[in-house]
Amino acid sequence: MTYLQLFWSFLKIGFTSFGGLSMIPLISSEMLSHNWMTAEEVSDIVAIAEMTPGPLGVNCATFAGIRTAGFLGAVAANLGVLMPSLTLCLVAAVFFTKFKEDKLIQHMMIGVRPACLAMVIGVCLTLCPTNYTESSGVSIPAILIGILDTVLLLKFKISIPKVILLSAVLGLCVYGWVIPFYY
Amino acid sequence: MKKMSEMLRLFLDFLKLGCFTFGGGWSIVAQMQRIYVEEKKSITEEELLDLTSVARSLPGTMIGNVAMLFGYRTLGILGGIVCILGIIVPPLFMLSVIALFYTAFHDNTWIAAAMSGVRAAVVPIILSAAVGMVKGAFKYSPCIFVMLMTLGLYLFLHINCVYLVLIGAVSGILITEFYERRGDRK
Repeated sequence: MTYLQLFWSFLKIGFTSFGGLSMIPLISSEMLSHNWMTAEEVSDIVAIAEMTPGPLGVNCATFAGIRTAGFLGAVAANLGVLMPSLTLCLVAAVFFTKFKEDKLIQHMMIGVRPACLAMVIGVCLTLCPTNYTESSGVSIPAILIGILDTVLLLKFKISIPKVILLSAVLGLCVYGWVIPFYY
Repeated sequence: MKKMSEMLRLFLDFLKLGCFTFGGGWSIVAQMQRIYVEEKKSITEEELLDLTSVARSLPGTMIGNVAMLFGYRTLGILGGIVCILGIIVPPLFMLSVIALFYTAFHDNTWIAAAMSGVRAAVVPIILSAAVGMVKGAFKYSPCIFVMLMTLGLYLFLHINCVYLVLIGAVSGILITEFYERRGDRK
Protein backbone atom coordinates (compact mmCIF):
# COMPACT_ATOMS: atom_id res chain seq x y z
CA MET A 1 0.00 0.00 0.00
CA THR A 2 2.80 2.38 0.88
CA TYR A 3 4.38 1.63 -2.53
CA LEU A 4 1.20 2.74 -4.24
CA GLN A 5 0.97 5.88 -2.09
CA LEU A 6 4.59 6.75 -2.83
CA PHE A 7 4.06 6.17 -6.53
CA TRP A 8 0.91 8.31 -6.55
CA SER A 9 2.46 11.16 -4.54
CA PHE A 10 5.50 11.37 -6.77
CA LEU A 11 3.36 11.01 -9.87
CA LYS A 12 1.50 14.14 -8.74
CA ILE A 13 4.79 15.87 -7.98
CA GLY A 14 6.17 14.93 -11.40
CA PHE A 15 3.19 16.06 -13.43
CA THR A 16 2.69 19.40 -11.69
CA SER A 17 6.25 20.65 -11.44
CA PHE A 18 8.59 21.98 -14.07
CA GLY A 19 11.97 20.70 -13.03
CA GLY A 20 14.57 21.43 -10.40
CA LEU A 21 13.83 23.65 -7.45
CA SER A 22 10.26 24.35 -8.54
CA MET A 23 9.54 20.81 -7.29
CA ILE A 24 10.33 21.63 -3.69
CA PRO A 25 7.00 23.18 -2.69
CA LEU A 26 5.21 20.09 -4.00
CA ILE A 27 7.64 17.64 -2.42
CA SER A 28 7.46 19.50 0.86
CA SER A 29 3.65 19.48 1.03
CA GLU A 30 3.37 15.79 0.02
CA MET A 31 6.02 14.69 2.52
CA LEU A 32 4.50 16.67 5.39
CA SER A 33 0.89 15.69 4.72
CA HIS A 34 1.76 11.95 4.75
CA ASN A 35 4.08 12.38 7.74
CA TRP A 36 6.88 10.85 5.68
CA MET A 37 9.34 13.56 6.64
CA THR A 38 9.60 16.51 9.02
CA ALA A 39 10.16 20.04 7.71
CA GLU A 40 13.73 19.73 8.96
CA GLU A 41 14.28 16.55 6.98
CA VAL A 42 12.87 18.18 3.86
CA SER A 43 15.47 20.93 4.22
CA ASP A 44 18.22 18.36 4.73
CA ILE A 45 17.18 16.38 1.69
CA VAL A 46 17.12 19.50 -0.50
CA ALA A 47 20.67 20.26 0.60
CA ILE A 48 21.81 16.65 0.12
CA ALA A 49 20.08 16.45 -3.25
CA GLU A 50 21.86 19.62 -4.36
CA MET A 51 25.26 18.31 -3.25
CA THR A 52 24.88 15.01 -5.07
CA PRO A 53 24.50 14.67 -8.84
CA GLY A 54 21.25 13.80 -10.56
CA PRO A 55 17.81 15.33 -10.92
CA LEU A 56 16.47 16.82 -7.71
CA GLY A 57 13.19 14.95 -8.17
CA VAL A 58 14.98 11.61 -8.47
CA ASN A 59 17.12 12.33 -5.42
CA CYS A 60 14.13 13.30 -3.29
CA ALA A 61 12.10 10.32 -4.53
CA THR A 62 14.94 7.95 -3.66
CA PHE A 63 15.43 9.42 -0.21
CA ALA A 64 11.73 9.53 0.67
CA GLY A 65 11.16 6.05 -0.81
CA ILE A 66 13.98 4.41 1.12
CA ARG A 67 13.00 6.11 4.36
CA THR A 68 9.38 5.06 4.15
CA ALA A 69 9.40 1.69 2.37
CA GLY A 70 12.95 0.56 1.61
CA PHE A 71 14.54 0.14 -1.81
CA LEU A 72 11.32 -0.93 -3.53
CA GLY A 73 9.73 2.22 -2.17
CA ALA A 74 12.50 4.21 -3.83
CA VAL A 75 11.85 2.43 -7.13
CA ALA A 76 8.10 3.14 -6.86
CA ALA A 77 8.69 6.81 -6.06
CA ASN A 78 11.16 7.17 -8.91
CA LEU A 79 8.79 5.56 -11.35
CA GLY A 80 6.20 8.13 -10.30
CA VAL A 81 8.47 11.14 -10.61
CA LEU A 82 9.78 10.00 -14.01
CA MET A 83 6.33 9.22 -15.43
CA PRO A 84 6.00 12.59 -17.24
CA SER A 85 9.31 11.93 -19.03
CA LEU A 86 8.18 8.39 -19.90
CA THR A 87 4.75 9.41 -21.21
CA LEU A 88 4.20 13.10 -22.02
CA CYS A 89 7.76 13.65 -23.13
CA LEU A 90 7.65 10.54 -25.31
CA VAL A 91 4.56 11.90 -27.04
CA ALA A 92 6.33 15.23 -27.40
CA ALA A 93 9.36 13.48 -28.87
CA VAL A 94 7.09 11.96 -31.50
CA PHE A 95 5.44 15.30 -32.31
CA PHE A 96 8.65 17.19 -31.66
CA THR A 97 8.28 20.30 -33.80
CA LYS A 98 4.49 20.42 -33.75
CA PHE A 99 4.37 20.70 -29.98
CA LYS A 100 6.73 23.65 -29.68
CA GLU A 101 4.43 25.95 -31.63
CA ASP A 102 1.27 24.90 -29.82
CA LYS A 103 -0.52 28.12 -28.89
CA LEU A 104 -2.63 26.73 -26.05
CA ILE A 105 0.40 25.35 -24.20
CA GLN A 106 2.23 28.64 -24.60
CA HIS A 107 -0.76 30.55 -23.25
CA MET A 108 -1.08 28.22 -20.28
CA MET A 109 2.59 28.72 -19.44
CA ILE A 110 2.05 32.48 -19.18
CA GLY A 111 -0.10 31.87 -16.12
CA VAL A 112 1.78 28.83 -14.82
CA ARG A 113 5.09 30.70 -14.57
CA PRO A 114 3.93 33.32 -12.02
CA ALA A 115 2.14 30.56 -10.08
CA CYS A 116 5.41 28.61 -10.00
CA LEU A 117 7.25 31.67 -8.74
CA ALA A 118 4.64 32.15 -6.01
CA MET A 119 5.10 28.56 -4.83
CA VAL A 120 8.88 28.93 -4.71
CA ILE A 121 8.57 32.11 -2.63
CA GLY A 122 5.97 30.39 -0.45
CA VAL A 123 8.25 27.46 0.32
CA CYS A 124 11.10 29.82 1.22
CA LEU A 125 8.86 31.53 3.74
CA THR A 126 7.68 28.26 5.27
CA LEU A 127 11.25 26.94 5.56
CA CYS A 128 12.54 30.02 7.40
CA PRO A 129 11.16 29.13 10.86
CA THR A 130 12.87 25.70 10.83
CA ASN A 131 16.14 26.75 9.24
CA TYR A 132 16.92 29.95 11.13
CA THR A 133 15.98 29.00 14.67
CA GLU A 134 17.39 26.71 17.34
CA SER A 135 15.94 25.50 20.62
CA SER A 136 16.79 28.82 22.32
CA GLY A 137 15.18 31.03 19.64
CA VAL A 138 16.40 32.83 16.54
CA SER A 139 19.81 31.66 15.39
CA ILE A 140 22.02 34.65 14.53
CA PRO A 141 24.84 32.56 12.94
CA ALA A 142 22.34 30.78 10.65
CA ILE A 143 20.96 34.13 9.49
CA LEU A 144 24.48 35.45 8.85
CA ILE A 145 25.36 32.33 6.84
CA GLY A 146 22.10 32.76 4.92
CA ILE A 147 22.91 36.39 4.04
CA LEU A 148 26.45 35.47 2.99
CA ASP A 149 25.13 32.66 0.78
CA THR A 150 22.58 34.96 -0.85
CA VAL A 151 25.32 37.45 -1.75
CA LEU A 152 27.62 34.70 -3.06
CA LEU A 153 24.87 33.16 -5.18
CA LEU A 154 23.30 36.29 -6.61
CA LYS A 155 26.17 38.76 -6.75
CA PHE A 156 29.19 36.54 -7.41
CA LYS A 157 27.40 33.66 -9.17
CA ILE A 158 29.25 31.05 -7.11
CA SER A 159 28.05 27.54 -8.00
CA ILE A 160 25.54 25.80 -5.74
CA PRO A 161 27.75 22.83 -4.67
CA LYS A 162 30.47 25.30 -3.61
CA VAL A 163 28.05 27.41 -1.59
CA ILE A 164 26.74 24.29 0.16
CA LEU A 165 30.26 23.12 0.96
CA LEU A 166 31.16 26.53 2.37
CA SER A 167 28.00 26.63 4.50
CA ALA A 168 28.79 23.15 5.84
CA VAL A 169 32.28 24.26 6.87
CA LEU A 170 30.90 27.45 8.48
CA GLY A 171 28.23 25.43 10.29
CA LEU A 172 30.86 22.99 11.52
CA CYS A 173 33.03 25.82 12.87
CA VAL A 174 30.22 27.82 14.46
CA TYR A 175 27.95 25.11 15.85
CA GLY A 176 30.56 22.42 16.47
CA TRP A 177 33.36 24.52 17.88
CA VAL A 178 32.75 28.24 18.61
CA ILE A 179 29.36 27.93 20.36
CA PRO A 180 30.23 24.89 22.58
CA PHE A 181 33.53 26.64 23.41
CA TYR A 182 31.92 29.77 24.81
CA TYR A 183 28.90 28.26 26.50
CA MET B 1 23.34 -6.83 -32.85
CA LYS B 2 24.64 -3.48 -33.98
CA LYS B 3 21.67 -1.85 -32.33
CA MET B 4 22.42 -3.62 -29.05
CA SER B 5 25.93 -2.24 -28.94
CA GLU B 6 24.63 1.24 -29.77
CA MET B 7 22.15 0.93 -26.91
CA LEU B 8 24.92 -0.08 -24.55
CA ARG B 9 27.05 2.84 -25.75
CA LEU B 10 24.15 5.24 -25.13
CA PHE B 11 23.53 3.75 -21.68
CA LEU B 12 27.18 4.11 -20.67
CA ASP B 13 27.29 7.69 -21.99
CA PHE B 14 24.29 8.66 -19.91
CA LEU B 15 25.58 6.74 -16.89
CA LYS B 16 28.64 8.98 -17.06
CA LEU B 17 26.51 12.11 -17.54
CA GLY B 18 24.46 11.03 -14.53
CA CYS B 19 27.53 11.14 -12.28
CA PHE B 20 28.17 14.83 -12.96
CA THR B 21 24.81 16.56 -13.23
CA PHE B 22 25.14 18.91 -10.29
CA GLY B 23 22.64 21.70 -9.89
CA GLY B 24 19.85 20.81 -12.25
CA GLY B 25 19.01 20.53 -15.92
CA TRP B 26 21.40 23.05 -17.39
CA SER B 27 24.46 21.11 -16.32
CA ILE B 28 23.45 18.05 -18.35
CA VAL B 29 22.79 20.22 -21.39
CA ALA B 30 26.25 21.75 -21.00
CA GLN B 31 27.80 18.28 -20.87
CA MET B 32 25.81 17.05 -23.88
CA GLN B 33 26.89 20.12 -25.80
CA ARG B 34 30.53 19.16 -25.25
CA ILE B 35 30.12 15.44 -26.01
CA TYR B 36 27.50 15.30 -28.78
CA VAL B 37 27.81 18.67 -30.49
CA GLU B 38 31.53 19.34 -30.27
CA GLU B 39 33.16 15.91 -30.09
CA LYS B 40 30.88 13.36 -31.78
CA LYS B 41 29.00 15.89 -33.93
CA SER B 42 25.92 13.66 -33.82
CA ILE B 43 23.52 16.55 -33.18
CA THR B 44 23.65 20.24 -34.11
CA GLU B 45 23.61 23.06 -31.62
CA GLU B 46 20.16 24.22 -32.79
CA GLU B 47 18.71 20.74 -32.37
CA LEU B 48 20.06 20.51 -28.83
CA LEU B 49 18.54 23.90 -28.02
CA ASP B 50 15.14 22.89 -29.43
CA LEU B 51 15.29 19.69 -27.45
CA THR B 52 16.13 21.62 -24.31
CA SER B 53 13.29 24.10 -24.70
CA VAL B 54 10.77 21.31 -25.19
CA ALA B 55 12.16 19.46 -22.16
CA ARG B 56 11.97 22.65 -20.15
CA SER B 57 8.36 23.45 -20.99
CA LEU B 58 7.05 19.98 -20.14
CA PRO B 59 6.26 18.89 -16.59
CA GLY B 60 8.61 16.54 -14.76
CA THR B 61 12.34 16.61 -14.14
CA MET B 62 14.13 18.47 -16.91
CA ILE B 63 17.02 15.99 -16.90
CA GLY B 64 14.66 13.05 -17.41
CA ASN B 65 12.93 14.91 -20.24
CA VAL B 66 16.18 15.80 -21.99
CA ALA B 67 17.33 12.18 -21.70
CA MET B 68 14.06 10.90 -23.15
CA LEU B 69 14.05 13.35 -26.07
CA PHE B 70 17.68 12.69 -26.95
CA GLY B 71 17.34 8.93 -26.57
CA TYR B 72 14.21 8.86 -28.74
CA ARG B 73 15.90 10.94 -31.39
CA THR B 74 18.91 8.59 -31.47
CA LEU B 75 17.39 5.11 -31.09
CA GLY B 76 13.62 5.37 -30.72
CA ILE B 77 11.50 4.57 -27.67
CA LEU B 78 13.94 2.03 -26.23
CA GLY B 79 16.73 4.56 -26.66
CA GLY B 80 14.78 7.02 -24.54
CA ILE B 81 14.22 4.48 -21.79
CA VAL B 82 17.89 3.46 -21.86
CA CYS B 83 18.98 7.10 -21.47
CA ILE B 84 16.64 7.65 -18.51
CA LEU B 85 17.91 4.47 -16.85
CA GLY B 86 21.50 5.58 -17.36
CA ILE B 87 20.89 8.99 -15.92
CA ILE B 88 19.14 7.81 -12.74
CA VAL B 89 21.33 4.86 -11.70
CA PRO B 90 24.13 6.99 -10.15
CA PRO B 91 21.83 9.21 -8.03
CA LEU B 92 19.63 6.23 -7.08
CA PHE B 93 22.67 4.40 -5.75
CA MET B 94 24.20 7.39 -3.99
CA LEU B 95 21.00 8.58 -2.32
CA SER B 96 20.15 5.04 -1.19
CA VAL B 97 23.42 4.88 0.73
CA ILE B 98 22.88 8.31 2.26
CA ALA B 99 19.28 7.51 3.21
CA LEU B 100 20.29 4.25 4.89
CA PHE B 101 22.84 5.97 7.08
CA TYR B 102 20.78 9.10 7.63
CA THR B 103 19.94 8.36 11.28
CA ALA B 104 23.57 7.64 12.14
CA PHE B 105 24.43 10.74 10.13
CA HIS B 106 21.90 12.84 11.94
CA ASP B 107 22.83 11.87 15.51
CA ASN B 108 26.49 12.72 15.04
CA THR B 109 27.05 16.18 16.60
CA TRP B 110 29.68 17.23 14.04
CA ILE B 111 27.49 16.28 11.12
CA ALA B 112 24.52 17.96 12.82
CA ALA B 113 26.62 21.13 13.13
CA ALA B 114 27.58 21.00 9.45
CA MET B 115 23.97 20.33 8.46
CA SER B 116 22.80 23.39 10.44
CA GLY B 117 25.10 25.44 8.24
CA VAL B 118 23.91 23.71 5.08
CA ARG B 119 20.29 24.24 6.06
CA ALA B 120 20.97 27.96 6.27
CA ALA B 121 21.99 27.77 2.60
CA VAL B 122 18.76 26.16 1.39
CA VAL B 123 16.58 29.29 1.38
CA PRO B 124 19.18 31.41 -0.47
CA ILE B 125 19.55 28.62 -3.06
CA ILE B 126 15.81 28.38 -3.66
CA LEU B 127 15.59 32.19 -3.74
CA SER B 128 18.32 32.37 -6.37
CA ALA B 129 16.19 30.07 -8.54
CA ALA B 130 13.21 32.38 -7.95
CA VAL B 131 15.27 35.38 -9.08
CA GLY B 132 16.05 33.52 -12.29
CA MET B 133 12.35 32.88 -12.82
CA VAL B 134 11.24 36.51 -12.37
CA LYS B 135 12.41 37.51 -15.85
CA GLY B 136 10.07 35.18 -17.72
CA ALA B 137 7.19 35.25 -15.28
CA PHE B 138 5.50 38.60 -15.90
CA LYS B 139 4.72 38.87 -19.59
CA TYR B 140 1.47 40.76 -18.97
CA SER B 141 0.72 42.85 -15.88
CA PRO B 142 -2.13 40.61 -14.56
CA CYS B 143 0.57 37.94 -14.06
CA ILE B 144 1.58 39.85 -10.92
CA PHE B 145 -1.96 39.37 -9.64
CA VAL B 146 -1.80 35.64 -10.47
CA MET B 147 1.40 35.40 -8.46
CA LEU B 148 0.04 37.24 -5.42
CA MET B 149 -3.18 35.25 -5.49
CA THR B 150 -1.43 31.86 -5.68
CA LEU B 151 1.03 32.93 -2.98
CA GLY B 152 -1.89 33.80 -0.70
CA LEU B 153 -3.69 30.52 -1.45
CA TYR B 154 -0.49 28.58 -0.79
CA LEU B 155 0.49 30.29 2.46
CA PHE B 156 -2.85 30.87 4.15
CA LEU B 157 -5.27 28.29 2.77
CA HIS B 158 -2.67 25.54 2.11
CA ILE B 159 -4.19 24.75 -1.26
CA ASN B 160 -2.57 21.77 -2.97
CA CYS B 161 0.04 22.80 -5.54
CA VAL B 162 -1.68 20.75 -8.26
CA TYR B 163 -4.64 23.13 -8.11
CA LEU B 164 -2.36 26.16 -8.03
CA VAL B 165 -0.72 25.05 -11.28
CA LEU B 166 -4.17 24.47 -12.80
CA ILE B 167 -5.34 27.92 -11.66
CA GLY B 168 -2.20 29.33 -13.27
CA ALA B 169 -2.87 27.49 -16.53
CA VAL B 170 -6.47 28.70 -16.74
CA SER B 171 -5.50 32.29 -15.89
CA GLY B 172 -2.78 32.12 -18.53
CA ILE B 173 -5.30 31.19 -21.20
CA LEU B 174 -7.74 33.91 -20.05
CA ILE B 175 -5.04 36.59 -19.85
CA THR B 176 -3.61 35.95 -23.31
CA GLU B 177 -7.13 35.67 -24.75
CA PHE B 178 -7.97 39.09 -23.28
CA TYR B 179 -4.80 40.76 -24.53
CA GLU B 180 -5.04 39.24 -27.99
CA ARG B 181 -8.66 40.36 -28.45
CA ARG B 182 -7.74 43.85 -27.33
CA GLY B 183 -4.82 43.75 -29.76
CA ASP B 184 -7.20 42.84 -32.58
CA ARG B 185 -9.49 45.80 -31.93
CA LYS B 186 -6.74 48.37 -32.08
